[in-house]
Amino acid sequence: MSVDISIMIGGEAGQGIQTVGELLARVCRKAGLYLMAINDFESRIRGGHSFFQIRISDRPVNAPHHRINLLLSLDRKSYELHKEELLDDGIAMMEKSNSLSGKNVLGIPFLELAEKSGGKITSNTVAAGACLALLGAPVEIFREIVSETFAAKGEAVIGKNLNAALAGYEAVKTFSYKYAFEWRPDKSKGILSDGSRAIALGALAADCRFAAFYPMSPATGIMAHLASAANEFPLVVEQAEDEISAINMIIGASFAGARAMTATSGGGFCLMTEGLGLAGITETPVVIVNAQRPGPATGLATRTAQADLLFVINAAQGEFPRFVFAPGSPAEAFETTARAFHLAEKYQVPVIILADQFLNDSMFIVEKPFSVPDKIERFIACDDDIKNPSEYKRYAYTPSGISPRALPCAGKAIVMVSGNEHNEDGHTSESIETRIKMVDKRNAKLSGMLSEMNPPDTYFPESEILLAGWGSTRGAVKEAVDMLRKDGINAGCVNFSDLWPFPADSVKKALQVCKNFYAVEQNSTAQLGRLIKEQTALSYSGAVLKYDGRPFYPFEIADGIKKQMR
Amino acid sequence: MAEKTDYDSDVEKKWCPGCGNFGILDAMKDALFNLDISPEKILIISGIGQAAKTPHYLKCNLFHALHGRALPLATGAKIANHELTILVNSGDGDCYGEGGNHFIHAVRRNIDITLLVHNNKVYGLTKGQASPTSDEGMVTKMQSEGVISETFNPLSVAMSLGAGFVARGFSGKTGHLSRIIQEGIKHKGLSLIDILQPCVSFNQLNTFDWYRKRVWDLFEEEYIPDDFNKAMELAGMWGDKIPIGIIYQKEKPSYTDKIHKLKEGALVSGKYLPEKVQKVIESL
Repeated sequence: MSVDISIMIGGEAGQGIQTVGELLARVCRKAGLYLMAINDFESRIRGGHSFFQIRISDRPVNAPHHRINLLLSLDRKSYELHKEELLDDGIAMMEKSNSLSGKNVLGIPFLELAEKSGGKITSNTVAAGACLALLGAPVEIFREIVSETFAAKGEAVIGKNLNAALAGYEAVKTFSYKYAFEWRPDKSKGILSDGSRAIALGALAADCRFAAFYPMSPATGIMAHLASAANEFPLVVEQAEDEISAINMIIGASFAGARAMTATSGGGFCLMTEGLGLAGITETPVVIVNAQRPGPATGLATRTAQADLLFVINAAQGEFPRFVFAPGSPAEAFETTARAFHLAEKYQVPVIILADQFLNDSMFIVEKPFSVPDKIERFIACDDDIKNPSEYKRYAYTPSGISPRALPCAGKAIVMVSGNEHNEDGHTSESIETRIKMVDKRNAKLSGMLSEMNPPDTYFPESEILLAGWGSTRGAVKEAVDMLRKDGINAGCVNFSDLWPFPADSVKKALQVCKNFYAVEQNSTAQLGRLIKEQTALSYSGAVLKYDGRPFYPFEIADGIKKQMR
Repeated sequence: MAEKTDYDSDVEKKWCPGCGNFGILDAMKDALFNLDISPEKILIISGIGQAAKTPHYLKCNLFHALHGRALPLATGAKIANHELTILVNSGDGDCYGEGGNHFIHAVRRNIDITLLVHNNKVYGLTKGQASPTSDEGMVTKMQSEGVISETFNPLSVAMSLGAGFVARGFSGKTGHLSRIIQEGIKHKGLSLIDILQPCVSFNQLNTFDWYRKRVWDLFEEEYIPDDFNKAMELAGMWGDKIPIGIIYQKEKPSYTDKIHKLKEGALVSGKYLPEKVQKVIESL
């Protein structure tokens, strides 16, 4: 029997939903299971309603499931809000004193058991224990995870939580649960990471030396991970006074020779567009993460969207080359971030990484190990590389459009850089000839940049119909393909992560084989579909679009496609 | 030892004849020559405006950036390589208007750069609109009834934010200005040098003659700029007597002094540590 169980932990912000969720996730990982978990929360620190939904399987899972096998309600509201999602034979477990007389309700005196074990504070450990016991998880693994989790807090705290864990197990001992399964402990399938951490690690693996940011959900996590590692590395993370400052700081740091990045969400990115153009015209390498959330303006601050694609491709006045990538998983987010730093310096252009709240805040088992290169190639010219350093020209014309990049005050070469149109020296110029040659020089990089673009990831590429998606929805789209194929529909998918410069040839090749293709996106206007049409003249037959701020469930995509086909 | 002409640039100077900026340019060259910092060891960053053209007119490494954004850009460069000598050429619109927020926070950070604000109390490049430092009542095409907002006082603002070097120069006294710039470069931390710079095209009020009658040389007075309250009083003086010189100076650790890891060397010279990255990954 294959395992595919979804557990939802719901409650108010501040009740410890994530603590319980992460305990469960770590136990499952340790037992050799696959899992993914989404974090759904409101823009508030206390109260309201939040949930952590974890999907456990013996096969890789990369999208949430829409039905719940087990609902752990830390408050009454969670049960009322989610009882419809609960499977008929699922269980809703909650604090006994709160218990409602509802379908499948199992009341457990978490608080009372916690008081006996080590205090009220351990009630989440009791609850986690009860969940795991219901599922049939070996108590030994839970004991190990509890010990690891509370290791930093000392023996006393570990002891209290171990008692609490056991109390949770005991409480449901006599209860038989349909979705309990046989746990066959195996070695872990990979590390547990959310997208934020993967991006931060990718930056470390690329030798990022400076990061500037202004806090904004859902991008702050990236900077928090970087800041927590910064002490070990030659890395400074600076909280700027605003996003305008953040991007200009990283341009200055990069100009001076440090690999530099910033991370923000759409609203902050709006403020950065002026700086983006400055990086473009001054040919300064920078990496900018835009972790998307629904806009415009403040939109839905803690939720997910993919509605900034056409914006970031076109952001800032004027024209200049840039890379745009949208990784489809944490593993790819790690690789893409490291690659972004490399390509930014190789081509002396800004690189934009499009993440989103779903990717940044969801946890996944990452099977492919994050691999760290031994060496970093910098593409920096020093006096010895320059024929006549005292005659150095920062913007020397070259066939590739890439001029040797020297650093200021590093030798005899004097480096002059200007955001005004400039001549080869870097001095301001209004000459007609220079203007044309400089625009052409910058655009000349595009052919080299295009050769760096990976073709889209495909799954059943020879199918009659293809679903075209991009970025973080890859897991959901692939699972939707499985569902459609199960229903006898000859479907496959094409998932884009390398989006700009647009790899038109490989996209054409991938899409020409099918009869119809459909755009599947988390925006309301099919931005990828429109981009494909503009760049390849291939038209999408329809689109499955979700823009309510919540991540795609695979069944929604499959149902949407079926409706489109009718 | 460098020659004074080593700092010359052959780029055509696109300022009006008689512009106050020429005096500032001369004072900068004189200061750099006297400090014996060779052109390839200087980095000058500027925003947008007439002042921001300055780095092109002397020989140096330069980054001519965006309106108002020179300070964050300079901050990033200084953090990346705190061994650099960085100057910023800005103007009253660039630094106190468009870049006002950055000005506040650069002062708070006490980043070790020398900030020269060419303060002509008017917008030059956009042809004569009022600036944050325009005197109240000044009539322009855009402010036809006269400026109705309070005049921004950069010196007292900087002092209230804890600035460690607050000075005012006058572009009509280049020797005096050169001395301030030299002290500013030597000072560890942010050095604000607000420079009274007549605009011959758009400011008929604050002219060379107007200033010459009013400037009061604090060097001649042998004023010692270590008393905050006295300095605040001088910073607020305007009208018949306008003090020029170093108004306030207090040594304190700069931003990069407070980042301990930078004691081992500049960020840009740090080593790539793949084993440590691997360790962080494995700890997950």
